[in-house]
Amino acid sequence: MAILLLAVTGAVLRPFEEPAWQVVRAQQPALKLDSLQGALGQGLTVGLLGGFRAIVADFFWIKTNSVWEDNDLPATQTFIKLVTAIDPRPLYFWQNGSRMIAYDMPNWRITEAGGYDTVPPAEQRRIDEEQATVALNYLREAFGYHPDAPLLHVEIANVYLNRLKDTASAAAAYRQAAEQPGAPYYAARIYPELLRKLGRNAEAYAWLKQLYPTLPKAADPAKGVSEFQVDSAMASVVLERIRELERELNVPQSEVFRP
Amino acid sequence: MNMANPSSSAPIAVMRSVPFSLERLTIVAGNTFLEAVRQKLFNFLLLLAIALVASAQLFREFNFGSSELKFISDFGFGAMVFFGSTLTIAATAQLFFSEIENRTALTILAKPIWRTEFIFGKFLGVFAVVGVFCALTTLLLLALLYHRETALMAANPESFESGRLIHYGDLVLLGVLQWLKFGVLAAITLLIASFSNTNLYTVVMGFFVLVICHLQYLARDAYGQVAALPLRLLVQLLGYVFPNFQVFNLADQIGIGAGIDAMVFMRVAGYALIYIAVIGGLAVYSFRNREI
Repeated sequence: MAILLLAVTGAVLRPFEEPAWQVVRAQQPALKLDSLQGALGQGLTVGLLGGFRAIVADFFWIKTNSVWEDNDLPATQTFIKLVTAIDPRPLYFWQNGSRMIAYDMPNWRITEAGGYDTVPPAEQRRIDEEQATVALNYLREAFGYHPDAPLLHVEIANVYLNRLKDTASAAAAYRQAAEQPGAPYYAARIYPELLRKLGRNAEAYAWLKQLYPTLPKAADPAKGVSEFQVDSAMASVVLERIRELERELNVPQSEVFRP
Repeated sequence: MNMANPSSSAPIAVMRSVPFSLERLTIVAGNTFLEAVRQKLFNFLLLLAIALVASAQLFREFNFGSSELKFISDFGFGAMVFFGSTLTIAATAQLFFSEIENRTALTILAKPIWRTEFIFGKFLGVFAVVGVFCALTTLLLLALLYHRETALMAANPESFESGRLIHYGDLVLLGVLQWLKFGVLAAITLLIASFSNTNLYTVVMGFFVLVICHLQYLARDAYGQVAALPLRLLVQLLGYVFPNFQVFNLADQIGIGAGIDAMVFMRVAGYALIYIAVIGGLAVYSFRNREI
């Protein structure tokens, strides 16, 4: 009788509970259990299934930091992938994991191979490119969970710029970052600077002209514009760069940008 | 008066004339609460939870930036769930069976007190204890998050362009939801205790049911994929019989700025309260026929 009453209660409450359950489900991406079970064991797997993904991922991120401090490349790479497989929601894991892969691991490999004085530059470059490719693939995987995240495009841009020395790809990535909702102001400023480095001054000029009107010039609490946002936007710096480009491009006075 | 069985009819006659009393229920609840807070178990688990929440300060060493708040909130709610579940099951079983083993239940129930008042009084006492536990850990977590967020805002203002990340009002609501979840768990434990013979069996079964309730959603997901009808019906039954504890799992994103919808809160809270009433009622029904 108790089981029957509980079953009836559950059935009656199901339509009431279902909308709330869908909200909870929507916040939890699918768990790739097959890839995790071997690494975690049964106890932690039950913990993951039981709704403790966030805290299990946090524990493993702390472990990642621990093996990263030991310069243990295989363990660091494994834990980075494990953490984002357990809980792909925090952007923080993807950003910092990609930085470990792109910036720290080449240094560890070169050091292990004899150091920067011993390893030939061509070999160093090969290692940099290899790790950068791994980092880029890792970041692209993150878009499956964070399709509109401007900071992921920024990370991709930085890998192209700092590790692969590919200014054109970095510029394209910064542009994609700037076009996402909630993008940091610096992404929209760095893109035209990279265009200038590539000699594409006219494109940079056009971009800055369309950017400047969108930037906050003064704080307006009523519209949610803070002093910090005004400082970050650096509208005056953008205007300076427009003027520089007008001189470089010999823009006639009648056609200069008027803010 | 029944001469064949003189002892049975007098109490029944008295019981029929004694209305249900909230005052007696409150007295039982109050005594249960006092007994629980005097227990070393409560103090031990509370200290452990506080220590775990406070140790989240150590995350400063890792220099996580604004994401440190996520780690603090995850550990804080994790401690609340883990120790709160342990406290709920152990305290409910202990407080119920101590009355049985010490024979004080016989003394109490010989008085004009309903078994319903006794059971619900026990439940409310445990519910109050767990409420104190949840309130203290939530307040500590709130203070810790506020303190660290203030420090991080000064150190990394670019990460807080839109202001504070944590919705502190929602954090309190999440603490309330965890308390209600523990209320459902206490009712389940009391139901098990009402027919169980030993404290140990009640605690073990309580933990089994806790795990089942956390994994109940797997039965719901599996229901549509099982081919064999009898197995499908069994899976569906499991999905209906056990409450879904995962629906209370709304705290994952609080550390990165997500809030909680008011309608979702009301639904989950209502879900918990209805289950408490139904399971509590079953516990009363089961206890009415129990030989003490």
